[in-house]
Amino acid sequence: MTQDNRSGRPQGRPPEGDGRVSRVEASLRGPFLLFFVSAVIWLLAASVLGVIAALGLGSSVGVLRDCAWFTPGRIAAAQQDLFIYGWGFNAFFALNLWLLAQLGRFEFRNGWLAQLGGVAWNLALTYGIARVFAGDMTGYRLLDFPREVGPVLAVAFLLAGFWPIVAFARRPSGHTFASQWFVVGASFAFPLVYLLAQLLVLWQPASGVVQALAHSWFVANLLQLWFGASALAAIYYFLPKVLERTLTGYYLAPVAFWTFFLFAGWTGPAALVGSPVPLWLQSTGVVAAAMMIIPVIIVAINVHGTLCSQGGWARAWNDTTLRFVSFGAVAFTLAGVLGGVFAFRSMSALVRFTSFATGLEQLLVYGCASMVVFGATYFILPRLTGALWPSAKLVHVHFWATALGFLAAVVAWLVGGWQNGQLLANPAVAYADVLRAESSWFLVLKISAVLLLVGHVAFALNAFGMILKAPAPAGRHD
Amino acid sequence: MKNLNTLLAGVFLAVALPFGALILSGQSQLGGLGRAAGEEGGALFPSREPGLAIQGRAVYVSLGCVNCHTQQVRPAGQGSDIARGYGVRPSVARDYALQSQVLLGERRLGPDLANYGARTSQINVETLLTDPASSGAVWHPSYRFVDAAQRTALVAYLKSLRQDYPSPEAKLKK
Ligand code: HEC
Repeated sequence: MTQDNRSGRPQGRPPEGDGRVSRVEASLRGPFLLFFVSAVIWLLAASVLGVIAALGLGSSVGVLRDCAWFTPGRIAAAQQDLFIYGWGFNAFFALNLWLLAQLGRFEFRNGWLAQLGGVAWNLALTYGIARVFAGDMTGYRLLDFPREVGPVLAVAFLLAGFWPIVAFARRPSGHTFASQWFVVGASFAFPLVYLLAQLLVLWQPASGVVQALAHSWFVANLLQLWFGASALAAIYYFLPKVLERTLTGYYLAPVAFWTFFLFAGWTGPAALVGSPVPLWLQSTGVVAAAMMIIPVIIVAINVHGTLCSQGGWARAWNDTTLRFVSFGAVAFTLAGVLGGVFAFRSMSALVRFTSFATGLEQLLVYGCASMVVFGATYFILPRLTGALWPSAKLVHVHFWATALGFLAAVVAWLVGGWQNGQLLANPAVAYADVLRAESSWFLVLKISAVLLLVGHVAFALNAFGMILKAPAPAGRHD
Repeated sequence: MKNLNTLLAGVFLAVALPFGALILSGQSQLGGLGRAAGEEGGALFPSREPGLAIQGRAVYVSLGCVNCHTQQVRPAGQGSDIARGYGVRPSVARDYALQSQVLLGERRLGPDLANYGARTSQINVETLLTDPASSGAVWHPSYRFVDAAQRTALVAYLKSLRQDYPSPEAKLKK
């Protein structure tokens, strides 16, 4: 263990410490940094909205309340859209591209195309968010943008997010890794899902409750096939890479991949148990959600099996990248297990319409995907920029503020949601009393939102400081 | 696994099969729903929405009320919706057949509104929107900034929400 290591400074370094960046990485620098910097800016914006939304909970006056633009319904929509499409997509455009270029020794010659896609994506997003604030939204969560935004985002995705597939197709050797399958799957599935959902929900609206059905299908696919699959790819890469070991039971990984993709697409209607949609559709969703336990268990064997052997946890804890990545892996397992259990009718009857679903979703998109992206960044950025992370203290602030902030919120959503469900199930408890019990969690959510903002600011300062200080790219080519 | 085409074909099926089986067949099962009488020779329901209510729905969407309010009543075995008085019968797909935009909702921070126009409430909705603190509600966001015309439409929309008629899929208990 090096000096840096003990001081908590992230260990990601330029290869061989000679300050040179490999040809592959030099070719990625432009697009990667564009995606990454946009991602972090959107993350900061989403966190600020998160604080505004949390502070408004339980109060009718609050900050900014007499202004239509900042009414809670619009803030909530804008916050989620910025987090998902701003942070989540840009971050995985960057990470997925880096991963597959790395694994396929892909030198990226058409970086400008990806950058064009990135710019188009972010412009369309900015426009969409402005429309949401102006009240021009659709009423479908995560498909809030007015319908002219959809096609632009889809084209931008093809320009920005399709390169990992190209890198895979051009890889020199026949051998492939689990990370590659997951990224190829995510990059191919999302545009299909997005276009079909746009078509059915916005352009050629299906009649009546079929809209809600299509929407549930879209959200499940977005969460699992983009966020889940992309995060898994990174987990399957960084864990063995940093620990310098093969994963326990790695031969099972193809089963994890195929079962994950085959079941995830059917889970949508599990969110509609009890809703006015045909029973057989609800049941199909429930069965699929329960089947998702298969990939979740295999991933657990691969990941936690590895971490549990040969002092894996201790090493993961002492490595900045792995500390975040294994946090994400635990969150993935938890989300998978709870998602399966709470899909069943009796369980879902209890927690439906409470904050429980938010908790499950955030376990996946924040606890897993975002933490994994953070961890990956600590590994990748030093290699791309040839610089070191400026401040070890900020790394600590980042980890503790996001980890604790997230844990607090997830407990509030899950435990609070469960408690809320218990009270609601008893019609003798007046609604006002249910509401008062629920409000007691609002303080936790407020503190959590502030902690997350602090963590993200620390991360941004450190990352932007490093990018600005980095030596000019010209000096680093071979 | 080594073959890109196998991978892409597999992923394509993983998206296309559920889409076809869940969404397209859902559409073919429910797409034809329209107004119907719950009893022999009874009146046709759901009723057509008044124009003001249609305007009000747009206000409801644009203010994001759907973030905190659902519009669906689950059957008796699934939660306490009916016992809580959110409706006299479970919601059925036909109830939404005439709505251009279906706002089932996913989260209930506030009560369900599927039958707001049919049930009683201690809270005066006009006061709730303009001055929540004095409306008797535990808490509610203020919508004082909404102009009078829009508010009238919004309230008309809320009062138009009802599923208390018999439907072929959900008879009313006598
Ligand atoms: C931040 C969440 C939130 C938003 C957004 C919200 N509400 Fe509410 N709503 C509540 C809560 C909580 C209550 C329960 C208040 C109580 O009973 O004390 C409520 C109660 C109501 C009630 C009274 C229901 C009853 O049974 O008496 C109506 C009507 C209502 N809201 C309409 C709206 C409309 C219209 C909008 C959009 C303009 C809206 N709400 C937006 C949280 C919200």
